[in-house]
Amino acid sequence: MKPASLTGNRLTPLARQRLWLAPLVWLALLLLLAAGMGQLEWLFRLVEPDMREVIYRRAGFFSLLGQHILVVGAASLLAVVLGVGAAIAVTRPAGRDFLPLVSQLASIGQTFPPVAVLALAVPALGFGTLPIIVALLLYGLLPIVRNTLAGIASIDLDVHEAARGMGMTAGQVLRQVELPLAAPVILAGIRTSVTINIATAALGATVGASNLGDPIISGIVNGNTAYILQGALLIGLLAIAVDSVFERLIPGNPG
Amino acid sequence: MGEGRQRTNWVLLSLMLSAVAAWLTLDAVSVAPNRIVPGSAYTAREVMDGWPALLLALPMLAVAVLAWQPTRKGLRLALVAVVALLTLLPLWLSAATAVLVESDMPRARVGIGSALWLLLFLLLLALIELRTRLGLSRPMGWLLLVPMGAGWWLALTLWLEPLALLREYQARSDQFITALAMHLVLVGAAVGASLVLASLLALAMRRHAGIRRAGFGVLNFLQTIPSLALFGLLLAPLAWLGSRIDWLSAIGVSGIGWAPAFLALLGYSLLPMVRNIHVALEEVDPAVVESARGMGMNRSQVFLQVRLPLALPVVLEGIRITTVQAIGLTAVAALIGAGGLGTFIFQGLGQAAMDMVLLGALPIIGLALMADALFGSLSERLRPGGAA
Amino acid sequence: MIELFDVTKRFGNDTAVDGISLRIEKGELCALVGTSGCGKSTTLRMINRLIEHDGGEIHLDGQPVRNFDEVTLRRRIGYVIQSTGLFPHWTVARNIGLVPRLLKWPKGRVRERVEELMQLLGLPVAEFADKYPRQLSGGQAQRVGVARALAADPDILLMDEPFGALDPITRETLQHEMRELQARLHKTIVFVTHDMDEALALADRLVVMHQGRVVQQGRPIELLHDPVNPFVESLLGGMDRGLKEAALIRVSERMLPLGPRLLASERIAYGASLSQALSVMLWHQVDRLTVVDEEDIPIGELSLRRLLGAKAS
Repeated sequence: MKPASLTGNRLTPLARQRLWLAPLVWLALLLLLAAGMGQLEWLFRLVEPDMREVIYRRAGFFSLLGQHILVVGAASLLAVVLGVGAAIAVTRPAGRDFLPLVSQLASIGQTFPPVAVLALAVPALGFGTLPIIVALLLYGLLPIVRNTLAGIASIDLDVHEAARGMGMTAGQVLRQVELPLAAPVILAGIRTSVTINIATAALGATVGASNLGDPIISGIVNGNTAYILQGALLIGLLAIAVDSVFERLIPGNPG
Repeated sequence: MGEGRQRTNWVLLSLMLSAVAAWLTLDAVSVAPNRIVPGSAYTAREVMDGWPALLLALPMLAVAVLAWQPTRKGLRLALVAVVALLTLLPLWLSAATAVLVESDMPRARVGIGSALWLLLFLLLLALIELRTRLGLSRPMGWLLLVPMGAGWWLALTLWLEPLALLREYQARSDQFITALAMHLVLVGAAVGASLVLASLLALAMRRHAGIRRAGFGVLNFLQTIPSLALFGLLLAPLAWLGSRIDWLSAIGVSGIGWAPAFLALLGYSLLPMVRNIHVALEEVDPAVVESARGMGMNRSQVFLQVRLPLALPVVLEGIRITTVQAIGLTAVAALIGAGGLGTFIFQGLGQAAMDMVLLGALPIIGLALMADALFGSLSERLRPGGAA
Repeated sequence: MIELFDVTKRFGNDTAVDGISLRIEKGELCALVGTSGCGKSTTLRMINRLIEHDGGEIHLDGQPVRNFDEVTLRRRIGYVIQSTGLFPHWTVARNIGLVPRLLKWPKGRVRERVEELMQLLGLPVAEFADKYPRQLSGGQAQRVGVARALAADPDILLMDEPFGALDPITRETLQHEMRELQARLHKTIVFVTHDMDEALALADRLVVMHQGRVVQQGRPIELLHDPVNPFVESLLGGMDRGLKEAALIRVSERMLPLGPRLLASERIAYGASLSQALSVMLWHQVDRLTVVDEEDIPIGELSLRRLLGAKAS
């Protein structure tokens, strides 16, 4: 809200670097842990002294992490494209008829627990990675649509009127006025969506996807707390790293 | 708006055309001789020579026609048609069941096909659209669902015994009740405890800016951590505590079970609760508080008579968000042995028994929707000046 | 030149504008006045087609506005609204340069034009160019709004209660500047306001609207003298009409050259209005004022009789 946030792009290079410090640290921690989990065997040995194996070895942590990021990334990217696109479509004159339904659907849909949506995707689509992506996509759409609608609706009507009155075309109003002004709210929606997706994707391990949820599920099944910790730490770090990136991206939120 | 003709309602039109298409082309029902053998699927047209299906398609087409040049009267008629369709669906399913399940199949299971699900979804969307266009109130909207509920209830108690979902329920009705109770207890306990804790925290935050910053920092951080990870991270310390401290293990604290679930739920519940209570107390119009002071109210009078009543709807909104969130998270907690309806989801997924998954997922969605509606309308009602 | 021929606009069953005809000459400042909901803003917005008219025709320099592409049309017409509608995410300079950039002027020319306009409207470039709208006071923001409307040098300016949200002092300053600006630029201006003093002070021509129709139009002084009905009369100030008229007449128009008598002790500037002169007389309980020029040098005198309009005696 303060002018400082608006002039954020004119910060000194040093201050700018510092803004990106937190995400980089979290990211580095995540990668370090994924790479060096084996080195921490002694630590996990303390947790599970009686187990024969204390490091999850069914798949490499990097590949699990990669899978996780891939699934969440693909679903989120599609959700952003479709969600922002749908919200824009229903706020144009041609699509405005659909606005009440879409906005109600987005808010009712968010009442559905993500785990239930994931569970329902299986009977509909079967086991594996694709159903998870579809489930994440569908659920991830909702906060994005909702926030994009809210962001566009929150724009001062007079600003809109002035833009038209000055002779901007509909496309210019959208690109130069509506989207930039709604951007912080849209980004907040994307952030919510990605956060939920990271968490829900982990549950995908129960429906046959291999990702960071795997060590946790397998730890629960085998009673191996060390596995659970390894999965939990990596997922937690991933979520925090991604969230801290959004923290920097959203204007007026300089940390 | 007057009684005159309006522009074509493209929403309703496209919903109805998709409904007809889905209804007539996709699988509507499947029948399997028992739980193990995969069933054979039928489209609606293949049941009873298809004429009931066509009969049901007629009102859909009628609504589509009414949507072409809608009048208020026409939209009301469309509403009646949609409600009737929603009520007739379970009856159609009953008839289909009666025809398809032969008497020599005592363990036959009838599954609901994608056409029926999709039709249900599209009709509900149409209902929402019509409710909006006709400007009906929210309670009225719920009332419109009563005939459908009655239809399903009737069908389920009388004719739909072979429905797979029902069979699945009957096979474990005791388990189901226990799971439902556990689910509600966990949600209730987490929400209740977080309400108390959050109130204290929010009051402390009003006093000290330091606590406010630190509190929101920690809670935001917590909210970011995926549920599965947080449950996992709580396992180890709680297991350790449970094994070292006798009285803790005596009350059931261990790595697995209700303890980590409750703690994690509490942690997640705190942020929305604290945020709303804080906002509620903070954002009462300063002019109102100032005028209350000016009239000579003392601090506690201002709090009890001005701040609290004005804050209550916002707090209820917090309870709503928290409850809905907790209902979903409790489902995940089943993974660490906390019980609840999530048990059916994960067991079902493990055994590839989709009806069991539904037995868990559908009530969870139902609970979330009910909590949302309940607290939403309560907060609406308590809003100063009454319901909008 | 803007012409409206029997223009009508309906919203549902309500007729907002009911067959009005107007002719606004080139270089004229025409004020549309009336109570809220009388259709004046709707009329204004039909000119740049933010609202499309249902019946009749609107011509711009003899061409129906419907013949123009609406975007091209709007870029030719300046538009100022009460809340400024400045883009909050753009700097002052970028806001002002909006239309020239839409018209694809070269960068250098846009910058020059922006700086020129900022000077014209008393906004020092060094201080204001990089500020954001929220950092401006109401008066500054409205100057930016006017500058933005003037940026592409349109012949026509549409102003919808541009000074309505400002405090009285700022409003008066801006009205004054507006008058001077218009004296230099000679734009064709349609100005909507519900502030009668503002309309009287600025307008070459007043158009009084009521329930979507034009009730009376003419020069401000004509309307003051000859209101067609009690509505116009009360709108123009009822019993205060005398003072309103006096506010339109300069002291210089009524003063007499210095006579043989002693100078009166109280002074008034020759550019002041008769209402101000009357106020000075009331305050000091005198019936004679010495009229002075900018350098405070006596150049004439004004008596109460002259102020009231009597011929030289």
